[in-house]
Parts: sequence; C-alpha cells; structure tokens
Amino acid sequence: MSMEVVVFACQQAVPEPDALKNLWHEREVRLRVLPEPCSSKVEAFQLLRTLATPVDLVWVIGCEEQFCRYNEGSHRAGGRLTYTKKYLGEIGLEPARVGRSVLTPGNVSALAGIVAEIKDRIHALGASPLRQAPKAAARRSAK
Amino acid sequence: MPAKYHIHVRRVPPRFSPLAKNTIIDWAEGCLRCARCVKEQCPVDAYRKRGFDPTQFVDTIDEICRDCYRCVQGCPRELIFKAANPQYSQIGDEYWTPEILATTWYQAESGKIPVSGAGYGGRFSGPGFDSIWTDMSEIVRPTRDGIHGREYISTSVDLGRKPMFLTFNEQGELDWPSPPVLELPLPILLAEPSLGANPGHLQEIITQAAFDLGTLAILSRNRLVPVPAEALGLVMPSYTAGSLDLKDPLLAQVRSLEILDHPGVLEQVERVKKRYPELIISIKVPADGRVVARVAELTAAGAEVIHIFASEHARGLGDYQDLHLKDIIRRCHLKLVEDKLRDTVTLLVSGGLALAEHVAKAIICGADAIIADLPLLLALECRLCRQCAKKGDCPVQIDVLTVKRGAQRMVNLIGAWNNQLLEILGAMGMREVRRLRGEVGRAMFMEDLEKEIFAPLFANREGELTKREPT
Repeated sequence: MSMEVVVFACQQAVPEPDALKNLWHEREVRLRVLPEPCSSKVEAFQLLRTLATPVDLVWVIGCEEQFCRYNEGSHRAGGRLTYTKKYLGEIGLEPARVGRSVLTPGNVSALAGIVAEIKDRIHALGASPLRQAPKAAARRSAK
Repeated sequence: MPAKYHIHVRRVPPRFSPLAKNTIIDWAEGCLRCARCVKEQCPVDAYRKRGFDPTQFVDTIDEICRDCYRCVQGCPRELIFKAANPQYSQIGDEYWTPEILATTWYQAESGKIPVSGAGYGGRFSGPGFDSIWTDMSEIVRPTRDGIHGREYISTSVDLGRKPMFLTFNEQGELDWPSPPVLELPLPILLAEPSLGANPGHLQEIITQAAFDLGTLAILSRNRLVPVPAEALGLVMPSYTAGSLDLKDPLLAQVRSLEILDHPGVLEQVERVKKRYPELIISIKVPADGRVVARVAELTAAGAEVIHIFASEHARGLGDYQDLHLKDIIRRCHLKLVEDKLRDTVTLLVSGGLALAEHVAKAIICGADAIIADLPLLLALECRLCRQCAKKGDCPVQIDVLTVKRGAQRMVNLIGAWNNQLLEILGAMGMREVRRLRGEVGRAMFMEDLEKEIFAPLFANREGELTKREPT
C-alpha cells in the first residue's frame, strides 16, 4: 500500500512548492504540497481531518517567528501543532504523525534538510493505522 | 419564422471545491468571547457552514465567503484576516489565468453570465483580445433584447461554399446544383482539446454536448469512439494528412469532415467530393507565416470551409508566433475581401479562445465562427495542471465523470457565452451575428487609438522629457 504525505507550506517560507517535489524522489510515498498564505492559516481541525482522510503524515512548514509576515502567525502555528499533538496522544494516536519545520523565508538550501526529516519520519512511522480501520470495522461487523 | 433557438442551462454543482481567490486566516487563539461574535453576523453564514474537503484538504469557508470583509473589520481583537490564496494564484498559466479558470467554472456550474456587481476592477486595456473594445453605443436603446426574448437576435451561421452568382437555364432552373450548406444555430463549434485524462471519454461528453446544443463536434478520427446514430450528423471527424481513406464507412454517415492542410489537399478534397458531394469539407490550416497566402489560395481554388488554428495562447505558429490570433484573422479576412472572395468561404478559428468576449471579437476581426476546445475541459473543473499529459492522475477525476453531468456543464458554459454574445449584439443594435463578421467599425483597437490619437498628444520623442506639442 502506498503512503501519502501532505505538506502545508507557507508561501513566504517556500515560494516555489515545486522545489519540495523536486527533492522528494520517493516512489512509494506520494507527496502533496499545498501552498498557504501563512502557516497560521492551517487550523487544528484541518490537521486532524487531513490525518483522518487518511493521510500518513501531515507537515507544516512556516517561517522563523521573527520573519513572519503576520508577526504572530508562525508563533500561533507552533501552538496549534502542540495542541494537535497533545490531542492525538489523548485519543490514542501517534502524535508524531504531525510535524512542523521553520526556516528563513526563501532559504532553499534548508529545504533539503526538511525533506530528509520528513522522509525519515514517514519511514519510521510507516502506514497510518487509520488505513487499516475500514478493514477492522468490516471484520467486526462480520462477527 | 423559425423556432427561437434556446440553450437549456441547468445548475450542475462542482464535484470539487472551486479554489477561492482569497482565503480567511482565522486566529482563534486570544478570542475575547464577545457576546455577539462577528462570525455569527456573517451575511452568508460562512463560519457555521464551513467544512472540510477531504479530497483537497482545504477548509471550505473560502468557497462560501463573499469577500465582504465584515468579519475582518468587526473583530475587536483583529484576529481575522483575508489574504490572497496561493493555491488559486498557482492554477493555470500566464495566458489561462486563474481568473479565466474561475469564470469558466462559474459559467459551467450555473449557465449564467458572470457578474460580480462590484464593478470592473481589471485593466483599462491589455494585449491580445483585451486591446479590442466593442462598441456598445446602442445600449441606451433597449430594443434588441435577445436574452429576454422581446426581439429575436439570430446567432445562426452557415458552413459551406456560397456561390458569388447564380446562372439559370432556359427553363428557369439553376444550371448547377447549389453547394451544400450546413446551418448551425450558434457560431461556436466544439472540439476535443489537446489535453484531458481519458480522451475517449472526453469525446463522448463533447459529442453529447454538441448534440444538446445542435452544433458540430470536431473529433479526431484516429481515436474516435463509437458515436450514437442520432449524433453522427453533428460529428465532424478530423483527419490528419494522409489518413483519409475513401472506404472509411464513417464518410457516408457524417455531414462534414476536416482534413489537415498538406500539398495535395485540394486533390484529396476533390476525390472525396466526387464520391460524397453532400459532405462539407473543412481544411485545417496552421496560423503560420504562410496562412494568409494559403487561405487566399485555397479559397480561390474552391475551398468551402477553412479552419485556421493558432496556439493555445492565441498566438500564431512558426514565423507568426509573435502575432496574435486577432491580427491573423484580420489579415486573412482582409486578403479575401481584397480578392473579392470573402463571402464564398467560411472561416473558422481556434486556439486561445478562452472567454465569451473572444467569440464576438474573433467574429469582428473576420471569422464566421469559432471553435471552443480547452474551455470545454475547464468546464469539467480542470485545473490545467497538465498531469494528464504526463500520464499522471487527474486531480479532479475527469476520467470518471458521467457523460450527462459533463455534457450539461459544457452546455451551461456555451449557454453563458451565447447569452453574452446576445448582450453584445443587442447593445450594438444588431439582429444577427452574420452581420458582425468583419464589422471593425463596431470596435476600437487600442493599437490604432494609440497611433492615431494618443501618440500625437502624449508621446515623447526619444530623449525628450516633456510632452510633445502637436504640430
């Protein structure tokens, strides 16, 4: 079963979303990059619903806090990630399925490190347990 | 009087959330919990209706929001912002802009003329078709009301060779049989675009749409899917040079066909006409540096219909790649006028015709009718990501769209275009689209205005800093 990673990328931090795709080179894991005006556009419910689709890993890339165009946007995005991880832990899912990186806006060389981190994370985690959920539910209903 | 032509539009909601131009950034952290939150006062109730689109991973609030900025201005802690949506600005390309895509999606969904009600915020003038301003001087006199039916405006056009004169024998009968003519109820033909996941399925949708509209569908003969018998008369199979075989059984079933231009095309047309005299044959000519001479040559040799095709960015091909399609149409048209042959031939044009106004403007420049191709794909919610050209998955799953749904979206789009054409004709005080052809007196061209009017008033000579006084 192929896996999927969704990246929400602040357009200031990653002006060219294709740059991420060009660094990907993974056949077994599909990467989708969604450009956002600021990482704080992504709300906790959006992260959780994206994970529930199910996607195997959700990542947010934003700017370092001092460079945020919206001043507080990157700080707020960090708070949301913390909240989402805590929530996932409470409901018994892996908090590591969401992640975040920050970089200086337009620092293309830093993207390679971020992509490597995402790759390591998805390979360590494997497929989302939610992918198995429909089968488990079908087994339960068959009993 | 013939029955009034009417396109039956019907709302077909999109399967995927259309990307919005602007997006809401909602910082809930730090909310004061006001007794009357601005979110509850949203006139379209966007905050309550918002959801999540699991196919695109987007918050659907942007699709609902009407950009009134009430919440942005009203929040006492200034926790709500609106920003340009980067996902929107990245769709399409420099010609097929996000605005063109969004307008097309709206028309395909609703069948209505896209009116924002917030005035025109675009540029005064621009390149290509944007440099033509149509004359609406009759708009103050609402006597020609095509859409609401108070007065009928005909959008019919004829495809075929028209004789310059008639000769009769002693019995008063025509000396020779009149050439076949195909009357279409609107000056728009449909053609399969060069892109698209599952081209066979796309052909089925286009054929159904052409049948519903009563116009022709130009489809590649090489990969033509089986067509229902009742729709065969509206299919114009397109043959590449050398691929036409007189034994092709389809030739006996269709009313028209298209052949790509090549050195022996006239002899080939003659052979087909000898066997199938009722067939209307269109010759597809590339809009390159030879197009003007070639169109004149083919017309003089008796061509019935000539299809001039440009690039998908409305530019010429080869030597003419810097020339816009409108200029190429004008040159071909004026050459035929000069040769006194213009009325004998039907000129069809395609390539980069993206908006309803382009239909009227192409006709003003001298075309008889236009061919819509890529906009048909956009009507099916295409994002122009071009993944299909790389054999990738279609993000909006056009390959599994039902024929009925897809055809109705195309019908809606053409219905909206037709209504805009009627509006233009009505505002010009015209009663039929045939009279619009080559009617450049009904339009102003920015290039001409700059040369004739603005240049003597405002232009500076090179190195001159102040305004030049008229001499």
